Amino acid sequence: MTQVHETRAPAAHDHHAPAPPRRGLEHLTGPGYLRALWLTPLFWGIGFGIVVFFRWLGGYDPLLDWDVLTVVASMTTAPVGFLAGIGAFDYWLYYISGRPTRPEDHSGHGARTWHDYFRVNTDHKVIGVQYLTAVFVFFVFGGLAAMLFRAELAQPDLQFVDGQAFNGLISMHAALMIFLFIIPAFAGLANFAVPLMLGAPDMAFPRLNALSFWLLPIAGIMFLTSFIAPGGAFGAGWTAYPPLATEQPMGQLFFNMGVQWAGASSIMTALNFLVTIITMRAPGMTFWRMPLLVWANFTTSLLVVVATPFIAGSQFFIMFDRIMHTNFFTVGEGGYALAYQHIFWFYSHPAVYIMMLPGFGIISEVIAVFSRKPIFGYRLMALSLMAILVLGFSVWAHHMFVAGMAPWLRVPMMVTSMIIAVPTGVKVFSWLATMWEGRIRMRTPMLFALGFVSMFVLGGLSGIFLASVPIDIAASDTYFVVAHIHYVLFGGSVFTIFAGVYYWFPKMTGRMYDERLGRLHFWLAFIGFNGTFFPMHWVGLQGMPRRVSDYAEQFGDWNMVITIFSFLLGASTIVFFYNIIVSWTRGEPAPSNPWRALTLEWQVSSPPPIFNFDEVPQVVGGPYEYGVPGARHAVLNGAHVTTEVREEEAVR
Amino acid sequence: MRRGSIVRLIVYGVLAGTAASLVAVFVPWLPDSASEEMDRIVFTFWFTTVICIGIFAIVAAVIMYCVLKFRAPEDDDADGPPIHGHTGLEIVWTAVPAVLVTAISVVSAVVLAKNDDAGDNPLRIGVTAQQFAWSFEYPGEGDQPLTTGRLVLPVDQAVKLTLHANDVIHSFWVPEFGQKSDAVPGIETTLVITPTKVGSYSVVCTELCGLGHAAMRAAVEVVERPEYERFLEEAAAGGATQGTDGEEIFTSAGCGGCHAFEPAGTDAQVGPSLDDLAASAEAAGEEPAEFVRQSIIDPDARIAEGFQAGVMPKTYDRTLTDEQLDALVQYLLEGGGG
Repeated sequence: MTQVHETRAPAAHDHHAPAPPRRGLEHLTGPGYLRALWLTPLFWGIGFGIVVFFRWLGGYDPLLDWDVLTVVASMTTAPVGFLAGIGAFDYWLYYISGRPTRPEDHSGHGARTWHDYFRVNTDHKVIGVQYLTAVFVFFVFGGLAAMLFRAELAQPDLQFVDGQAFNGLISMHAALMIFLFIIPAFAGLANFAVPLMLGAPDMAFPRLNALSFWLLPIAGIMFLTSFIAPGGAFGAGWTAYPPLATEQPMGQLFFNMGVQWAGASSIMTALNFLVTIITMRAPGMTFWRMPLLVWANFTTSLLVVVATPFIAGSQFFIMFDRIMHTNFFTVGEGGYALAYQHIFWFYSHPAVYIMMLPGFGIISEVIAVFSRKPIFGYRLMALSLMAILVLGFSVWAHHMFVAGMAPWLRVPMMVTSMIIAVPTGVKVFSWLATMWEGRIRMRTPMLFALGFVSMFVLGGLSGIFLASVPIDIAASDTYFVVAHIHYVLFGGSVFTIFAGVYYWFPKMTGRMYDERLGRLHFWLAFIGFNGTFFPMHWVGLQGMPRRVSDYAEQFGDWNMVITIFSFLLGASTIVFFYNIIVSWTRGEPAPSNPWRALTLEWQVSSPPPIFNFDEVPQVVGGPYEYGVPGARHAVLNGAHVTTEVREEEAVR
Repeated sequence: MRRGSIVRLIVYGVLAGTAASLVAVFVPWLPDSASEEMDRIVFTFWFTTVICIGIFAIVAAVIMYCVLKFRAPEDDDADGPPIHGHTGLEIVWTAVPAVLVTAISVVSAVVLAKNDDAGDNPLRIGVTAQQFAWSFEYPGEGDQPLTTGRLVLPVDQAVKLTLHANDVIHSFWVPEFGQKSDAVPGIETTLVITPTKVGSYSVVCTELCGLGHAAMRAAVEVVERPEYERFLEEAAAGGATQGTDGEEIFTSAGCGGCHAFEPAGTDAQVGPSLDDLAASAEAAGEEPAEFVRQSIIDPDARIAEGFQAGVMPKTYDRTLTDEQLDALVQYLLEGGGG
């Protein structure tokens, strides 16, 4: 029997005592919000000074150009000041300046009280929870934006908001949900689970990990504050095509820069995952013994590292066209408007896999555990992830079938887009085969997993329609596309995030969530989701374009139906938040392995000890050997490993 | 697998397939086709739908069967059988979908080639998009094209549209014609349409182009050949389409997309109402015609209370001639009645 550690190792605390209490001025100079409070304006001032000095030097008029000042002072140097203030750079600066770095001081590692979740912390488990909490805050803002514009769209004509506000709301909804909810939510879940699953004490670069997290709130606040910028929030859609985007009010700069901060966070996290997965696997954890969640994050991280710089570049081009008067996309001056779309989609198509592959990983864990069966075709599951990774880079122009790009590019892009359905289909069929003859438990994570499979299949099928060029020409830029994207991103990604949150909730918090509320949440979300997005398919094909604040009378009835169901969908998340908050504070204590799962994170206490494993686990088999008599994934207590197993390992 | 299970699985599959087929048949998914191109798109759509219903039925049947048949009781803690895979099955569900998507690709590629082919002698019409209006250029006498604010097409005649954009990206779509293409500043895009039904339709802009995007529409009429000839003659003879009629310019320049103006019957609220411009001019202490003219060519010079600068395009001094501006100013001040 695998040894289970029910208590945190007290020894860890003795060696890593908290830093000594601060005295007098140390409150202002030590890392924390007080220091951030004066460093942020100081750095803003430095940015301001740099701009004004160079403009004065070059004789530019006007001296105070607020577009430039906002970008440099408010959105570059001030956030750096904030990060320095809270202590994200302390260790590195100590190291650079030759001061003692105190490597033994782990005061910023692990959470002892809830205050620790609001500080720079290097513990991957704390960072995972920080990610999830933060992204759900942005999920609420993104959701409220959706509720507002759905209220506006309930009837034809304008009722509640004007054109700029409407365009701002739709752009904000997409930007928040993509860059500050789905992508970082997966980063958060993986941050918590991957090192545990690998048998590692933490991520490879814990300080980088902390920094990656703290870039996110900066990006989110940047997006949200664009509402108070003169002229309103960025209103060119999340795709921000020029020339419209270069001509937008100042709010567009907040999008350009927010994407940089969120993108930097993504890239740093991805590098961290790659190094962690390659170098920090426990003894015996070969690539073919890694849980599929780890495989999924490995492929996703490869995607992020290659693709994300492209969106960073595309937003810099837009911004430079505006504030530095470059001509990347200025048509009259030799710019080429379509170049943006090629660069943008070269990121943003892989981005849909960045938003989907980690979800595939979560679903593989959940379905195997709750069906009590090994994953069907484990190696093909891992290989299909790699196939999607490679193919994902060859399909970007299917977003541009009507954009006026070179006509010969359409058929090849259609063929690759169609073929990418094959590895995706392999995954779906393998999940179904995993459930076949299983002993299925319909707990909340499993409900969301099944909801995901069925909704994702519908989203995948509407994707086939959009891959076919002639159909796409009719359906492009209509509500059919809106329906498709929500079937894959809400019915797909968001359902997997919910599945993951419910699945690891006992491990993260040490408490069980309320099962009945979990089921209620699922059914409300499932019904609300389908009622909202299914009618959009035909509303779009019949002639309703996307991103319109007003539409023809004939679509009025269906839009009313859609709006009512969208409010139900919104209400379902209230159930979720209530369940999570109440269970976190007062839930029943969770055992270390409530789901009787085999992967490593379930073999330690809930929540896990501060350095995860008191002894390095020895991996001896695959992660999903349910039903195999005597099989085990890992042995945690070294003393219990038989010499035969060790020798067997040595041979491998 | 027992025979009973197979029968049950097939029953579920038929149920799911029937439900999906009913949704496919009874919901009006597509607008009534009014062009040859849309006919082919409709064919591709149903070809794909049939395949998709089949896949959906299989997936739905397996999920339903698993949930109903393999659900374990609460107190059960047994594991399922340790099945790790089945190479034959994995090959089948890799190969069969590959064949199906290849079939859809082939059909789509053939349809695309046909839909791009305008034949030997299409009617060529230029389409110009700007915030937030469409205008159409018919080949006229000599070099001077005939410019109109509505699109009139002869029935059963292949038309090749050449699209331009003056400011930002727009997209030309008539749902009943199926075909769609972006109009991109700096490049020329084309679109082939062969209308098959006489009637009135609407051009819809489908690419977010700014505040008046939702209102960027234009009328399309498909008419019989003689009527089309008459339309061209009227256009050539000056008539309402020559481009110096204030009301026509108001429509073709897209003013109504953003502004309320009672004589034109528009009620949009993106920009200020144009119903009492004389009073506004007086309040600003300027001569009315000069005030209105300047507000059109340099909209940020004076901003009405409650509205923002930078919203209205600053392109009208380039896109309208002096005569057209005069006509528009006169129309705005006198409301067509003058």
